[in-house]
Amino acid sequence: MKTDHDVLIIGSGASGGMAAWTLTRMGIKCLMLDAGPQVDFDRHRDSRAVFDLPFRGLGEPGRFPHVTQASEFDANFWLDEKQNPYSYPEKDPYYWVRIRALGGKTLRWGRASWRLSDFEFKARDHDGFGDNWPVALADLAPFYDRVEPMLRVSGRNEGLPQLPDGKLIEDRSTDSLSVQRFIASCKQLGVPTTKPRRATGTLASSVNLLLPDALATGNLTIVPNAIVREISVDPKTGLVNGAHYVDRRSKRDYHVSARIVILGASTLESTRIMLNSKSPRHPNGLANSSGVLGHYLFDQIYVKNVVTAIVPEARGGKGPRNLTGGGGYIVRFRNVGKPDPKLKFLRGYTYDFGSGFTPNARYLPLYGEPLLRELQNLQGTGFSMTTMGEVLPRFENHVRIDPNVKDAWGIPNLHITARYTDNEHAMAKDSMEMAEAMCKGAGFEVLARHSQMVPPGESIHELGTCRMGSDPKRSVLNQWNQCHDVKNLFVVDGSAFVTGGAQNPTLTILALTLRAGEFMAAEMKKQNL
Amino acid sequence: MLGAPAAAALPLAGTALAPAAAQAQSAPASEFPKLAVSHPDAVGDPKPRLLTDLQKATLARLCALIVPPLDNRPGAVEAETPEFLDHLLRHSTAARQKLYRDGLDRLERDARAKSGKAFSQVDAAQAADLLAPLRQAWTYQEPTDPFARFLRLAKEEILAATVNSRQFAQAASAGRRGATGLNTYWHVID
Repeated sequence: MKTDHDVLIIGSGASGGMAAWTLTRMGIKCLMLDAGPQVDFDRHRDSRAVFDLPFRGLGEPGRFPHVTQASEFDANFWLDEKQNPYSYPEKDPYYWVRIRALGGKTLRWGRASWRLSDFEFKARDHDGFGDNWPVALADLAPFYDRVEPMLRVSGRNEGLPQLPDGKLIEDRSTDSLSVQRFIASCKQLGVPTTKPRRATGTLASSVNLLLPDALATGNLTIVPNAIVREISVDPKTGLVNGAHYVDRRSKRDYHVSARIVILGASTLESTRIMLNSKSPRHPNGLANSSGVLGHYLFDQIYVKNVVTAIVPEARGGKGPRNLTGGGGYIVRFRNVGKPDPKLKFLRGYTYDFGSGFTPNARYLPLYGEPLLRELQNLQGTGFSMTTMGEVLPRFENHVRIDPNVKDAWGIPNLHITARYTDNEHAMAKDSMEMAEAMCKGAGFEVLARHSQMVPPGESIHELGTCRMGSDPKRSVLNQWNQCHDVKNLFVVDGSAFVTGGAQNPTLTILALTLRAGEFMAAEMKKQNL
Repeated sequence: MLGAPAAAALPLAGTALAPAAAQAQSAPASEFPKLAVSHPDAVGDPKPRLLTDLQKATLARLCALIVPPLDNRPGAVEAETPEFLDHLLRHSTAARQKLYRDGLDRLERDARAKSGKAFSQVDAAQAADLLAPLRQAWTYQEPTDPFARFLRLAKEEILAATVNSRQFAQAASAGRRGATGLNTYWHVID
């Protein structure tokens, strides 16, 4: 055996990075495998003119059927769909958006950093649907308190129960006049708003905030380009003892041993690895005696530009300089407390809003010189809102292995089944009507509105499929992200979520992983692991 | 060395290397030079290969109607957008190609039926009648009529391809300190 490690960490993004940061600093030897290459920020990027790109920035047709976020500038950054195919029912497309590189999606995330509240952790107590988490905000708050300063999160505390306060760099910036008017309109409707809450800094990634400290301890070995095929199991004990991986470039197979395995490969990749790790001790996939592994897939609904409006006095560049610009966040206001019987949906939604852009030409029923003149006239006048809403976790939304669909390394990939239901459709419609009322109350001119949600997956907030719970018959993980069935296997990414609210999930993934890592270290010390 | 005959800098075959002092001072032996070069699109005239001549003429007229030159900015025709769209379509799906071809054929057919001339010859008032779907209010759902869908797509692509063109960037950058159209490009990461 070439090497032997205490802990094998699979994945190097938010969860894998935080696991390494926590454990190595407590003296534990960790090996980290990541399926992707290391990004060299000097060598892999440069400045290029849009007119020198092969398709003038409109993108190579058909290269990314499911990644609407990819542009012709950054196409090479996203995971190649042809090398990594997956399947879904013909009528229910699922947009699985992946980045495979050291640092994972923290290289490109939107950085919004909101805490979940007990309206999410104890959702069942509020409306009777689904399940509670085995943890409450009080359990996680001390970890959120430590994670926010690491990410240098800026924002403003509002003292709202549905959006817990954090340890923030206070955002004292003044709002533009149009945003002030919009906030006043929201207030009239009883809708709370706040500043965006985001990680700051040139880069806010695992590769600059977590992994350097972990490497500095001397306890971390990082191996990029190692695609894990399967986790190996000791047939006598049923415990995990390492992983089989394949070198991305040479396609050679390897095995590495470890006492403990941590999966942080991303929501669907971790579940895929577990489902692919079948053995006589685990015939339905690793740690799946409950049969729940792969089930309860959810994400968040997005209605992009649910309303696009303009600030009328800003036309033609008129109006004071501080009239437009800036933005903010609308805090969940539906079903806070007991369900509102007047609404046709459970749970709630939030919005991002922004001011100061030029509206897209598609919204203007013009062409030719009138179109070009109107675009000049509307420069910087735009105001838009995007809905982000909670999706109810349902057993029937699930992933399974599709034996007929394999990646370029011969590893079977997923068949993904996810459908939005009446609850999500009703929520999207309500969000459109409310958004329009908020804009009109501010005196904005509404150019367009719609309630069409992006396909499941497109928000890149996929969650669940390896959920936590206190009942081993109905969940895969306990409250410490530890498998009920296999005590030396931990799953720390978004797959552990029981509910997701409408808040961006990364901050919660980081807090859960920090908590799980410290539990793990304590158990190792007690020789329970 | 500027202006010196190029041959003078090269040692002739069979002769001894020139003394070190005669070599260009600006080229140390260890340097890998990065020369200032041009781009295929900047020097040649594009040769479209997909559409028929009639379709090309229809597309050129449509481009001129949707994005005409304005102030000091080039229009779609000056930005070689019709030729670019032929290239984009050549790499697109068969369904997309059909949408464009059918749309262009329909414009030509309707122009002949309504005004007795080719679409490439219609005036602005005659074109306004033929392009009526572009004056309808935007809806999130795409129109069911393929002709309306074609016009909506063509409007977006003609505008984007023109604004992103070399010709547009040159005009937009004139008199400014910064260049227009630059962005961070990611190479293949391996």
